[in-house]
Amino acid sequence: MSMLSYLVRRVGFLAVTLLFVTLITFVVTNVLPGDVAVLILGPNASEASLQALRADLGLNQPLWVQYLDWLWALFQLDMGQSLRFGEPVWGLIMDKLPRSLLLAVAATAFAVVLSLPLGVIAAVKQNEPADVAASMFGFVGVSIPIFLWGLVFILVFAVWLNLFPTGGFVAPSQAENGWMTTIRHLVLPATSMGFALTAYVMRMTRSSMLEELGDEYVKLARAKGMSERVVVIRHAFRNAVIPVITVIAFQFAYAFGGIVVLEQVFFWPGMGKLTLTAIQSRDIPLLQGCIIVVAMMYMLSNLAADVLYAYFDPRIRYGGEN
Amino acid sequence: MSRTQSTATDVASTADTDTPLLDVRDLRTQFSTDADPVVAVNDVSFTLSRGETMGIVGESGAGKSVTARSVMGLIDHPGEIVGGEILFDGEDLAAKSEKEMQTVRGNRIALVPQDPMRSLNPVLTVGSQIVETVERHQNVSETEAKEIAIDAMAETGIPDAADRFSDYPHEFSGGMRQRVLIAIGLACEPDLIIADEPTTALDVTTQAKILDLLNELQEERGMGILMITHNLGVVAQTCDTVGVMYAGNLVEKAELEALFERPTHPYTRGLIDSIPETDREYDELPTLDGAMPDLTELPTGCNFAPRCPYAEEACRTAGDPELRGVEGTPSAAACIRADELDLSEGRVPDAAGLGKSVDRSGDPLLRVEGLKKHFSAGDGVLGGLTLDRSGGGFPKLKRQSVKAVDGVDFDIYPGETVGLVGESGCGKSTVARTVLQLLEPTDGGVYFDDQPLHELGSSEIRSLRAEMQMIFQDPGSSLNPRKTVGGIIGRAMEKHGVASGEEKHERVGELLERVGLSAGAAGKYPHEFSGGQQQRVAIAHALAVEPRLIVCDEPVSALDVSVQAQILNLLNEIQAEEGIAYLFISHNIGVVKHICDRLAVMYLGEVAEFGTVEDVFDAPYHPYTQALLSAVPHADPTRRTNRVLLEGTVPSPIDPPSGCSFRTRCPKKIGDVCEREDPELADAGDGHHIACHLSREEMSEPVGEGHAGDARSVESGARSDD
Repeated sequence: MSMLSYLVRRVGFLAVTLLFVTLITFVVTNVLPGDVAVLILGPNASEASLQALRADLGLNQPLWVQYLDWLWALFQLDMGQSLRFGEPVWGLIMDKLPRSLLLAVAATAFAVVLSLPLGVIAAVKQNEPADVAASMFGFVGVSIPIFLWGLVFILVFAVWLNLFPTGGFVAPSQAENGWMTTIRHLVLPATSMGFALTAYVMRMTRSSMLEELGDEYVKLARAKGMSERVVVIRHAFRNAVIPVITVIAFQFAYAFGGIVVLEQVFFWPGMGKLTLTAIQSRDIPLLQGCIIVVAMMYMLSNLAADVLYAYFDPRIRYGGEN
Repeated sequence: MSRTQSTATDVASTADTDTPLLDVRDLRTQFSTDADPVVAVNDVSFTLSRGETMGIVGESGAGKSVTARSVMGLIDHPGEIVGGEILFDGEDLAAKSEKEMQTVRGNRIALVPQDPMRSLNPVLTVGSQIVETVERHQNVSETEAKEIAIDAMAETGIPDAADRFSDYPHEFSGGMRQRVLIAIGLACEPDLIIADEPTTALDVTTQAKILDLLNELQEERGMGILMITHNLGVVAQTCDTVGVMYAGNLVEKAELEALFERPTHPYTRGLIDSIPETDREYDELPTLDGAMPDLTELPTGCNFAPRCPYAEEACRTAGDPELRGVEGTPSAAACIRADELDLSEGRVPDAAGLGKSVDRSGDPLLRVEGLKKHFSAGDGVLGGLTLDRSGGGFPKLKRQSVKAVDGVDFDIYPGETVGLVGESGCGKSTVARTVLQLLEPTDGGVYFDDQPLHELGSSEIRSLRAEMQMIFQDPGSSLNPRKTVGGIIGRAMEKHGVASGEEKHERVGELLERVGLSAGAAGKYPHEFSGGQQQRVAIAHALAVEPRLIVCDEPVSALDVSVQAQILNLLNEIQAEEGIAYLFISHNIGVVKHICDRLAVMYLGEVAEFGTVEDVFDAPYHPYTQALLSAVPHADPTRRTNRVLLEGTVPSPIDPPSGCSFRTRCPKKIGDVCEREDPELADAGDGHHIACHLSREEMSEPVGEGHAGDARSVESGARSDD
């Protein structure tokens, strides 16, 4: 199995999964209570105008025809009009998605930068104070919900120390200092989310490192006279990071899901806010779009993990054990 | 290993004039535990000269690996060297700091580790793993380091070394990986190589090649080798001097010939006696009772006294005996009776009855006809599909399959033991599982007592299960850890309606006593037993349902030789009493020779040779059998077989060679016919079947010297085989 066929298979798998996601999304949003025509025209609309609108929207067609129509439109990036905003769903999402992505990527990056070294140190210093401290930190990280981290951070760094703004999003183009202002607004939400993600990645890194450090090739590296740094980084870590990649991908997806609450805490107008609005206002096309996009993010992060996997593990790159 | 050039006396004389390369004095390594520290190496002293190979031999837990790791300063927490000196070229390694040791390790002392499959980093190219050692210890440029690495690879017989430099470990076979590990060890031209069970994970034909390689390299370079092994055969074929370890102590130190001619410690004698030699006849193997004591519960007095047939009262009370010279011999032993005992003759067990004879006049109990088992290659729906244009014309989509077993015939008569022997991947275990219908055969038939098992439904098979039992290599994982031994055995009886209630309890007790345990063992859990005892439990479990056939899949491979001998004797005894037939699977030629009546030698899913043990072990041979037999290292330094080294490695069972599957490696290949026609497993009329195109006369001829010598040069051209 070459690298190419490996990737083709992963992408193919992804496409099939996405098809299922669209099906589930469509079915679920269609069984939700509420008549779209009534939602649009209001409760006082006449039966005739409701009928006309239903015909216009294709709501009288069999469900499977509606699904195929919707899927075909989706394929062309046409997600319909938002009922609430009266604008194309695609445009609304494209407006908010980058902001959420920015937050999720920053949070994940923060978590990775913090957790990999911590996990490695914890493994190397197994059962020593450094390990206990790191594990404790990890436990606290997982146990406390993201929004609480957010509130604590706002209180400490924004209200008391006045280092960062309490919330809000400023696009680089709108601010005087360009990206600097955006980043100042990004720091608190990204770190508070990052802390929650750190714990898992760190603990996975630790256990994966411990496993590798006990392996025979590590013993041989020591027997070759390699310095401990080379043994840990070049030998053990390069192997240990492979399973961690999957965890990071999951954490990124988790970050994307957790964003709904956090965006509220930090007044960050992203996908979370948009999804919430869609639900509250029964804006079915917008809701469908949001779900599909979030699912896409999830799957793309997994694809990225698969690619990284192959990069780090030559057994995948050049086809399995022979 | 310099034995072939210089005699042991030469070595001794050089040792007298020079300072020894390695001089270990009173080395003591212990591991701290919650209770008292466990002494893994107990005041061990020995010396090793340049150009000398010293073997450290002993069973698991003897402390041989810890000794080796102590010399390298690689004892992991909570272990610690607490006493003694390790003088290497006059400098005490035990006194060096970790930083200083890093300049010694890999540079002047190199390790060749045990497990070639796990000792290489899977994500780094083999080349870079050699280069990093070179760059660490030598002041060379990157290009020079690469050249040195490629030279080292070529020197260890890796074909196309320069091309393979950038390959990853998983692209190499086990034997080739071991060569890479040796290349890593050699790259900095060390003075001392510590080889820790370097061939234990390898097949016997590969082992022969690796041992020869180490021999050659030592002759060229004159380094000292400390050979850690449990295999006395390996010792006999490679070492100049030997130290025997038991429960942390060096109990005997001797020159090679002296060790085998006249061992001075009863443990050494027992160890040598326990090995079933391929060229000797036994009814019963001489054994040592019991097993090595747990290091946390050492007996007072001599550690070996509880198992020693010569032990006296003084042995049990007078403290741990010191290692000292034995009168009238050049050897040293840690035994207070060493001077008076003459252990030059092996012990012959009392029961020297006549060899058993199997009655093959009736119907066989088990008949296997044309058995095939193919597994689909690759995973998923699209896995294993390839385009095939072999028929010419339009390419066809063809599903690849692994032909694990590809047409196997044999039969077993009541009370008979039939062996399946071959190297890893030859399909022997698949045959066993397919015979028992644990795997569904792809083709062919299995008849048990004339019932076609392959046609029976699963419920009918289940009712026959009581008649066919299985014993596995690792009893620890085949016995339910959460049930008592009595519960495990009792449940088997109930399930098959053999016994229940009070009768069941009685029978469990009887069975446990039958396999050499006490009836009281019924209340214990499997983890409370040692490996050998667990295998006894597994045998009792199999016997519980009164089977007529037991399939034994490598039942003694995980056991130490002294325990292995006990289990083999037990199996033989049970067969003599109960008339049970065994299908015995093993890669160990000596074991198979000892226990089997008839034997099938398997190669690449097919039977190459089938016949009585006498037939198979005597000419005429199938060329593969001949190579296999010649590769077995004899535990006797006076016997050296002219090894037939096979080229390359076993081809892939996905795409086996055309014609005879052995022809790609056969030293006696005659030509086109071998490539065109698959030879039939032909009977010469005496029940001795061989699948080969050669005539019986040709098969009786030894493989010429030229062939054995050619093997390496041919191999270097056989990159695709690896």
